[in-house]
Amino acid sequence: MRTLVYGLLAYLMTGAGMSLASEDAAMLEKGKYLAKAADCVACHTAPGKEPYAGGLAFELPFGTLYSPNITPDRETGIGGWSDEQFVKALQEGIGPEGDHYYPAFPYTSYTKMPREDILAIKAYLFSLDPVEQSAPENDIAFPFNQRWGLYFWNLLFLDEGRFEPDPDRSEDWNRGAYLVTGPGHCGECHTPRNLFQAMDSSERLAGADLGGWRAYNISGSDSHGIGTWTEEQLVNYFRQGYAEGLGVAGGPMAEVVDLSLRHLNDRDLRAIATYLKQTEPQATGLPRPTPLADTLAAPEQPGLGSKVFAEACASCHQWNGEGNQSPAATLAGLKTVHDPKARNLMGILMEGNPASSLPVNHRMPDFGTIYNDYELSALATFVLQHFGGLDAEVTPEQIRERQAAALH
Amino acid sequence: MQTVKVNNQTHVVDVPGDMPLLWVLRDILKLTGTKFGCGIAQCGACTVHMDGQPIRSCVLPVGDVSGREITTIEAIGEQPLAQKVQRAWLDHEVAQCGYCQSGQIMSAVALLANNNRIDDHAIDQAMAGNICRCATYTRIRSAIQDVSESVGVWQP
Repeated sequence: MRTLVYGLLAYLMTGAGMSLASEDAAMLEKGKYLAKAADCVACHTAPGKEPYAGGLAFELPFGTLYSPNITPDRETGIGGWSDEQFVKALQEGIGPEGDHYYPAFPYTSYTKMPREDILAIKAYLFSLDPVEQSAPENDIAFPFNQRWGLYFWNLLFLDEGRFEPDPDRSEDWNRGAYLVTGPGHCGECHTPRNLFQAMDSSERLAGADLGGWRAYNISGSDSHGIGTWTEEQLVNYFRQGYAEGLGVAGGPMAEVVDLSLRHLNDRDLRAIATYLKQTEPQATGLPRPTPLADTLAAPEQPGLGSKVFAEACASCHQWNGEGNQSPAATLAGLKTVHDPKARNLMGILMEGNPASSLPVNHRMPDFGTIYNDYELSALATFVLQHFGGLDAEVTPEQIRERQAAALH
Repeated sequence: MQTVKVNNQTHVVDVPGDMPLLWVLRDILKLTGTKFGCGIAQCGACTVHMDGQPIRSCVLPVGDVSGREITTIEAIGEQPLAQKVQRAWLDHEVAQCGYCQSGQIMSAVALLANNNRIDDHAIDQAMAGNICRCATYTRIRSAIQDVSESVGVWQP
């Protein structure tokens, strides 16, 4: 009898223990996935340093901010934080000592996340190895260094509250809406900001400038947004970083694909596509270009720009812009070659697309150190005129300004 | 497992699909005539033909070439036009150190095969992506011009 009781006890204990362990594992798995969806690592990692240990600098109009360490180190990270403190940070933008965060931290989006999702992220972060690393002090000018001022900013611009599903919409649409407006925080870059640096709710996803890059219009507009992209094309873009003849992720968006989007499952990517296609059309910004004929040939009269193109670009992109050995190298139809301001064109020429997770034929070398501002401006001018049919000119000054405009 | 058709022979190679074609050519198939230069499609030393078009094999994943015809420097001499190019290369003694020359010849053959009107400018455009540390460019130009004349496409 005694053996039976012990046996039963042992069975109950291990059984209960196992189910707890598997619940923990499921929560960790969910937290890891949501941390990817929320792309925490992109901002909370300094170049060459440990992931999540913070220290990345953000050059903002009013000073420099540094992202904090969110590994579970007790002294320099968030190891001492309670569940309440972590939830309050993400939903209200308020730190454990009652200090207000600057909205560079996208709590205005994370506020949509329910407590259980936030705690899953916390569980995942707390499962990481603690890293002892303090971020430099923020260097913010008066009056913006008076954080209490953000109390009023939040009153005006923080729409504090969780995501509420719309019962009239499909499950996919609701899942997409949650991912886009909550953890994915797409609007933080793709929605223009008002005078007070808050997302302008009248122009949701209409596109915005950021550190020299243009985050394009991703609203449901056919003429200016992604309305005419098929769901398949959007999912391909999220997964591979390009959709042939429509868009190639570069700069910060390449990082989003690399660190976040490509890790999401098919169903979620499809849900994001479903939702984006149905967002309110915003007919502003660069219109969706009509690709020029694929018969474009090398110019009869070579200039400096076309010479540089012949040397450095033509072997992958070809003179007709079709892309020689990879559809990712297709230039025809990209907004980037139709933008008279050459914003993303200058960015991609100077910074390239180096992500090592990309297949070898999707990478692009950076030409910022190989060619000087004079050559780069001639090249950019040639690309806009040749592939965009634009009467535009990029000057060496623009190249130098673009170099100085980097976000980090 | 990847299937590649190189110089009219089909090979099944046990490599990951993201391995650059150049590595398969040189390290697996031992076709070392194609050279590694920069590894980022900027020098042209690794140029081979894919369905007759010059491509940079250092940045082409082998998984993307199934069903395509790859031709390397080892077999290009089976094509009559390429024989003329090789002859002209010898007549002009184009090569100096020779490292870039297989890529140069592959680009030159593609230029001649795909154009029915060639002038200096066309040579510049087609050959600009192949760089030569010994600066044999003038001899390359002369050799291409000779072949262009002999096949009747030279139109300066």
